[in-house]
Amino acid sequence: MRSLTKSLSKAVISNWLRLTLSAVSVAVFLTIWWLLSAYLRADWPFLGVKPYPLSTYERLPYWWDVLRALGRSFVTNPSPTGGRFMSEHILASLTRISIGFALALISAVPLGLLMGRSRNAEAVGRPLVELFRPIPPLAWVPIFLVVFKFFWGPIAIVFLGVFFPILLNVRLGARSVDPVLIDAARTLGARRSTIFVKVVLPFTTPYLMTGITVGLGIGWMCIVAAEMLGGVGGGVGYYIFAANTAGLYDLVYAGMVMIGILSVLTTGVAGLIERWVYRWMGMK
Amino acid sequence: MDKKLIIIAVVIAAVVVVGGISASLLLSKESKTTGTVYYVTIAPKDMKATLAGGSIDAYIAWEPYVSDSVVGNVGDVLEWSNQIMPNHPCCVVAVSPDFLSKPNGVNLTERFLKAHIEANQWMANALAHPSGANYTALVNMAVQFTSRNATVVKAALEHVKYGYEMNQAFRNALQQFTDMYINDNMTTTAKMQGLGYSSTSDFISKYVNGSLLDAAKSITPSSTILNPSNPIRLGYLLGDLHQMAQVVAQNTTAFGGTSMFQKYGLLVTSATGAPFASGGTEMSLGFASGSVDIGYLGAPPAILNHLNSGVKALIVAQANSEGSGIVVKANSGIHNLGDLVNKTVATPGETSIQFLLLKMALDKEGLDLKIKT
Repeated sequence: MRSLTKSLSKAVISNWLRLTLSAVSVAVFLTIWWLLSAYLRADWPFLGVKPYPLSTYERLPYWWDVLRALGRSFVTNPSPTGGRFMSEHILASLTRISIGFALALISAVPLGLLMGRSRNAEAVGRPLVELFRPIPPLAWVPIFLVVFKFFWGPIAIVFLGVFFPILLNVRLGARSVDPVLIDAARTLGARRSTIFVKVVLPFTTPYLMTGITVGLGIGWMCIVAAEMLGGVGGGVGYYIFAANTAGLYDLVYAGMVMIGILSVLTTGVAGLIERWVYRWMGMK
Repeated sequence: MDKKLIIIAVVIAAVVVVGGISASLLLSKESKTTGTVYYVTIAPKDMKATLAGGSIDAYIAWEPYVSDSVVGNVGDVLEWSNQIMPNHPCCVVAVSPDFLSKPNGVNLTERFLKAHIEANQWMANALAHPSGANYTALVNMAVQFTSRNATVVKAALEHVKYGYEMNQAFRNALQQFTDMYINDNMTTTAKMQGLGYSSTSDFISKYVNGSLLDAAKSITPSSTILNPSNPIRLGYLLGDLHQMAQVVAQNTTAFGGTSMFQKYGLLVTSATGAPFASGGTEMSLGFASGSVDIGYLGAPPAILNHLNSGVKALIVAQANSEGSGIVVKANSGIHNLGDLVNKTVATPGETSIQFLLLKMALDKEGLDLKIKT
């Protein structure tokens, strides 16, 4: 425990400038939020200035109200949001994200490698990828509901969000392997399979990691659309959607903050895996 | 940044999340009741296909999404909504207070309501004479508006009661809905009082405004359009047969080239975002953003959104009563509400009148309604 606090304080001291900058950035953001809320509500310091005649007094809640709503969502389970606790919503969303992400990873990596290394595979895959990539996940909702049903439907939406960034990054990585490296390996008598494992794969890994980070972010972006598919067991996206139709805006923002936190956490885990992979491959 | 620092941060965050999850899982353990029916939320337009696909056992929706399944032999009606609550209010006409406070806003609203009244009277007459030309015209308008065929529309029209009057029973029912919402924690007394209403009856007496409808009755036609450059921006729901009055009032071909809105001097246009997917979205996107002047929507979302977020959509006329139903899969062996125990029912969402009706029906049988897990 002592070494933990020691290393923490050491890290704080050595990074004080950047930590201060981060703190200032958050503080400025929260101040702007506060001023905007106060402006919309004609509250102090904008007493008497009513920008909109609408009586939408909770449209943009103060940030401390949002944090309070987020805290409360772990211990209360209001009926408009499915009568579930936030922890249950988190569990439901994490399950969808994990399965969708795992499936995307398993399928996108080999396909990306193939498209990056083979011109014929590229010719086959390219038009399909370009055709399907720009379709917004929301557009798939009605068909996925019927075809994939309540369990796989939302996962399929997340899958689509994660799949393309990984595929495209892996393809780019595999394609941009320095030919000199491959020639060198060949001169040393390496076989095709060895070149693939020892040269192409390590070269592609950083690209894959970028794809994973971007893909996870987009996966979370898709969660509201995904959880419009019945919302079995709820989910943070369902929570936002349901709270919005009931006019509970503090809960809407609480759900948005929660998605941000979850995205940071999952990306953090991906970062840890990245380090582990690099060490395992002897790259760092 | 230091690697250790990241690991420590992730570990601390993970402990907090896992701890929170397990704590509230423990808290959520409840005693068993006589039976539970599970619900999922899907858009009514997707309900028929989902029922046919087998992922739900039943659904509750508005017409024509009930008759659509019945005519297509996909489903049978378990209960019509009038069996749950006779004459229950459903859709209403609501007006934005911002529109009312504009110059001429009151006059334009009264004229709108006059056209609404006349459309209702025309529909009542058409429905009373199914062999007449007006009935055929009504069916054609409904076919176009709902994108359903004439057989479905005719079956659906039988179960919707159109009417504009807001009598005491209507107000009492809305008060009952509000009380239920407070009971179920959908909104709170504190929020209601924060908006300046001392009780639910005080709220309904102020939020339901009958004076405009009364004044509308004596409005006479206008030879000129009174708002040529500022059309009334109309909100309505996607293919909702309950809201036929606005379709009739906008129709020109059946009325010699002049619509009822035009007859009373009005230019009416679809609001940005209309048709809306649900009353909740019409409130939160349309009325709240100021893009809807007058809208047709369910009374419950108009009430709930106002109490929760302060968005105002004053209820100024009724549009219909009844006209929803619980549909079960054809030949499913489900013959009463008790058979729905442990089964999955789709609803349009927690804020809809259909959700409220389903809850009322199950309450009477001593059954719980919970989200499907």
